[in-house]
Amino acid sequence: MGAGPAVHKIMKDFEGKVKLVVKHYPYQYRDFSHIAAEAAMAANDQGKFWEMHSLMLKKSPQLEKKSLIKYAQDLGLDVKKFTDSIETKKYSGIIERDKKLAKSMDLYNTPTFFINGRMVVGNRSYEYLRRIVEEELKNAKK
Amino acid sequence: MQRSSAPLIAPETRPYFCVVFFVACISFILISGVVFAGTLEPIKPSPAPIDNPQTDEKIELGKKLFFDRRLSGDGTMSCATCHIPEQAFADGQDISMSYPTTKNWRNSPTLINSGYRKFLFYDGRAQSLEEQALFPVMSAFEMNRNLDFVEEVIRGVPEYVADFKKVFNAEPDRKKMAMALASFQRSLVSKNAPLDRYLKGDKRALSKDAIKGLIIFTGKAKCADCHYGATLSDDKFYALNLPENTDFKDDAGIAATRRFVAKISGFKEYRDLNEDPGRYLVTKNKKDWKAFRTSSLREVSKTAPYMHNGIFKTLDEVIDFFDRGGGEGNKSLKPLDLSSEEKQYLKIFLVEALTGEDIVIKLPQIP
Repeated sequence: MGAGPAVHKIMKDFEGKVKLVVKHYPYQYRDFSHIAAEAAMAANDQGKFWEMHSLMLKKSPQLEKKSLIKYAQDLGLDVKKFTDSIETKKYSGIIERDKKLAKSMDLYNTPTFFINGRMVVGNRSYEYLRRIVEEELKNAKK
Repeated sequence: MQRSSAPLIAPETRPYFCVVFFVACISFILISGVVFAGTLEPIKPSPAPIDNPQTDEKIELGKKLFFDRRLSGDGTMSCATCHIPEQAFADGQDISMSYPTTKNWRNSPTLINSGYRKFLFYDGRAQSLEEQALFPVMSAFEMNRNLDFVEEVIRGVPEYVADFKKVFNAEPDRKKMAMALASFQRSLVSKNAPLDRYLKGDKRALSKDAIKGLIIFTGKAKCADCHYGATLSDDKFYALNLPENTDFKDDAGIAATRRFVAKISGFKEYRDLNEDPGRYLVTKNKKDWKAFRTSSLREVSKTAPYMHNGIFKTLDEVIDFFDRGGGEGNKSLKPLDLSSEEKQYLKIFLVEALTGEDIVIKLPQIP
């Protein structure tokens, strides 16, 4: 399930008030975590980041290239474009940059949220995130 | 299990309830099976075992180990990953975080006041913090670290070698690591909770509504039958027949963890197990099937979600569960028939009286 549903609902309920920035942090000891991050970005190019994100969480650990291409097909993506993107590691620069950022912040767990600087480690419910977002919005108005 | 009304020794009511308590004691002797409520007590410093006295240096060493990710197999987790200082040393999740690629199966309890507990973990498989400390380190779904290996890792860090020499006059080993971790945990004690001030005689420490809640807590709601003493827990085990958390019913990762724990606990039918047997896995005693330790109620406002499987997200849900008389078929509880007003007072007591000051600790420099 992952963080997707709760984050989606936050973005919907606080539309125009909250900006979402996603950073990648593929787990260092999983063989397919890097290519999965590439796949998420390749799907993002075609407007289906979260769909791919959710599907990969559901199908994990089947995340090798062949499976990812099948998922792209299932999501109705342009498979050639998607495959080119993951084969050329189009987003490796961005993914490496994000990893470097996470390490510089001494982060080790995913997902980790920063809500106006407040760190929340681990998957959270909508209610949990909503409470913090509301507090931060209130603080921002002061 | 039949229970009498709960006596309370509170400042303005002490003489009256002393009498009730005496009567209840007599009843207990005469009528087998009758349980009476205990009294609430102010918190004191956690008692330390004779062979592991508290010292500042040992607490500091334990704190370093507590925050050190070297204690996990892949270097991503420390004790603080699931016992977060800002979350009252719990983690705020229904089911606790887990070692990457695995799933935990129970809620992360607060460590505050853990030094008082006679049993640690929801199933009480450890009887001291020293015994408890290394379980999560070696648990496959928590920190997943081999203890022989971690001893060598810690021995390879000169700062730790110096610290262990200073604290124990010995080299680092698993036993001393556990002792230091236990000392740090034992230092986490509720601070200046309104209930403590009230029990020590400050009648203004609780609001009128909280006092009404306290009377319900110790009376009609019978909470103090099991939640008494300094931690508000009797350290006993009850099968309240909580529902399984449906959010995780079909979670293959949690099912694997459940079967694994049952398997290493010697439960023969572990492959077919689809619920949490609780204390039974420790004792193999039929009466302990799905029984879990009475939780402390101190700092309860900061430690949601509640129960061993995080099934209740709010105190209202918890109060409703007990008001209904617990889960289907349980023999420990009976319906309470509380009014909505009484439930509100009860909640006010739980939130207002039992919440101490935040424990703010200076994060250690990890060597």
